[in-house]
Amino acid sequence: MIGRVLSSEFLKIRKKLLWLLVVAGPLGVVALQAVNFGLRYDYLMKQYAADPWGGLIENVSILALPALLIGLAIVASMAAGIEHQMNAWKMTLALPVTKRHVFAGKFLLTAFLLLCSCVLLVLFTVALGFALGFGSSLPVGELLSAVFYPYLAAMPFIALQSWLSVTMANQAIPLTVGIVGMIVSTFAGSRFPDWVPYTWPQLNNEWGEPLYSVAMGVGTGIVVFLLGMAEFVRKDVK
Amino acid sequence: MSANQELILETNGLTKRLGGKPVVNAVNLKISRGDIYGFLGPNGAGKTTTIRMLLGLAKPTSGTIRVFGKDIRKERLAILRKVGSLVEYPSYYGHLTATENLEAVRRLLGVPRSRIDEVLSIVRLTKEAKRPVKGFSLGMKQRLGIATALLGNPELLILDEPTNGLDPAGIQEIRELIKSLPQSSGVTILISSHLLSEVEQMATQVGIISKGSLIYQDGIQQLREQAKGRIRLGVSDPESAWKLLLSCGLPADWDHGKLSLTRTDNRTVAEAVARLVEHSHLVYRVEEETASLESIFLEMTGSEGSL
Repeated sequence: MIGRVLSSEFLKIRKKLLWLLVVAGPLGVVALQAVNFGLRYDYLMKQYAADPWGGLIENVSILALPALLIGLAIVASMAAGIEHQMNAWKMTLALPVTKRHVFAGKFLLTAFLLLCSCVLLVLFTVALGFALGFGSSLPVGELLSAVFYPYLAAMPFIALQSWLSVTMANQAIPLTVGIVGMIVSTFAGSRFPDWVPYTWPQLNNEWGEPLYSVAMGVGTGIVVFLLGMAEFVRKDVK
Repeated sequence: MSANQELILETNGLTKRLGGKPVVNAVNLKISRGDIYGFLGPNGAGKTTTIRMLLGLAKPTSGTIRVFGKDIRKERLAILRKVGSLVEYPSYYGHLTATENLEAVRRLLGVPRSRIDEVLSIVRLTKEAKRPVKGFSLGMKQRLGIATALLGNPELLILDEPTNGLDPAGIQEIRELIKSLPQSSGVTILISSHLLSEVEQMATQVGIISKGSLIYQDGIQQLREQAKGRIRLGVSDPESAWKLLLSCGLPADWDHGKLSLTRTDNRTVAEAVARLVEHSHLVYRVEEETASLESIFLEMTGSEGSL
């Protein structure tokens, strides 16, 4: 059943700007780093002489984090907006599908599109590294964890934005929440204690173990997702 | 139609309160197989709220809904598999073509792909199938909405104001389309409207809702019988003419303006005219006045709904 819901969701986002956004996000991040490394090549190469790939990955992830947090809010809003725009909720929910599956479909669509962006970010980063002549000593594990750990740790926000975007017809509210979240998270650093979800995508915690942040993110993400689903099922359709 | 027919849809004491105020109040709908049920009421009477509850989009405050003999709260999916619906203005994905819109719904219903071409030809949109729906006229969008409702081969079709906002030609087209359906596919139809004239030509049963309560539910024939006419008499001195007619045992009625006879058979009319002439009243006009279904409807629902 959820397979049918998803296949319908993918059909609906055909010819939408959503796909452009999925590519533009990671492309923008890597393009800015291309400019950064292009302009300050000698300086940066001196700084990262021992580990140029590590330097590139570090710089990419500094920009990728806010891009991910704002991107997830926009993608969630656009995915839900397809239904809000033409009041299609009443049509979809009068079909023989459960409200749970419809809600899960929107969340999974958002999560999948962001995952696509993350995969593209890996590919673009590798391409830039090779273009800058960093050679073949690519630290695959480091690159993958720098991209996918923050994605998993941001799961509560994907669930939250998906929930808000689906249940609110006025997309200004979820987008505001998303933008504020991005700002808070970007400047969170070590100013907040570890239990604040906004610190998790940065993977810093007092044990120095990024996987703790990932585990907290995925666990909380599932809880937020289930809360949102419960509210969506209970509510009357507009 | 007849009482022994299988009930497709039945509600019992269906009530919905919004902010403490009953929007739908103890409604008992009964729809039999093969009916075209006209669900009538002025704007804001509770038609759409009722229909949303029938589709499981809104939860009743109290009361039960049984469709195909099943409780909507327990077997919503099984019911919706056999129900096609169009709620208020059409829902569509503007950036997709008509075919893609239907495909998005087809993937959820799991019916064969060939069904898309079938429903497109039923609503005569085959030629426009490859155009984005945002360029469609309202009538075409409404037809696409009906095509979507038909996609799953429904046994019960619920159409909420399908002709709302259409021009006369569009209304006519939708009406012909709906009239042709029960014969061609054996489907039962619930169609709501705020205009009696719109459904009187196709409905077999009528339910009238006003301020949340169902105030009439019976065949369209029974409603028509209430629409029998009266004879209006234009005379020189209506008051004394009225007294005269009453004294002769004729069913006359005078409302300080119009004099009328409430029986319309030839005998009564002939006798009344003869008596009037006998007593030197000048008879200017003898005309038949038939109360339209529309005026009965307005009388039932109160006039504020139509203002």
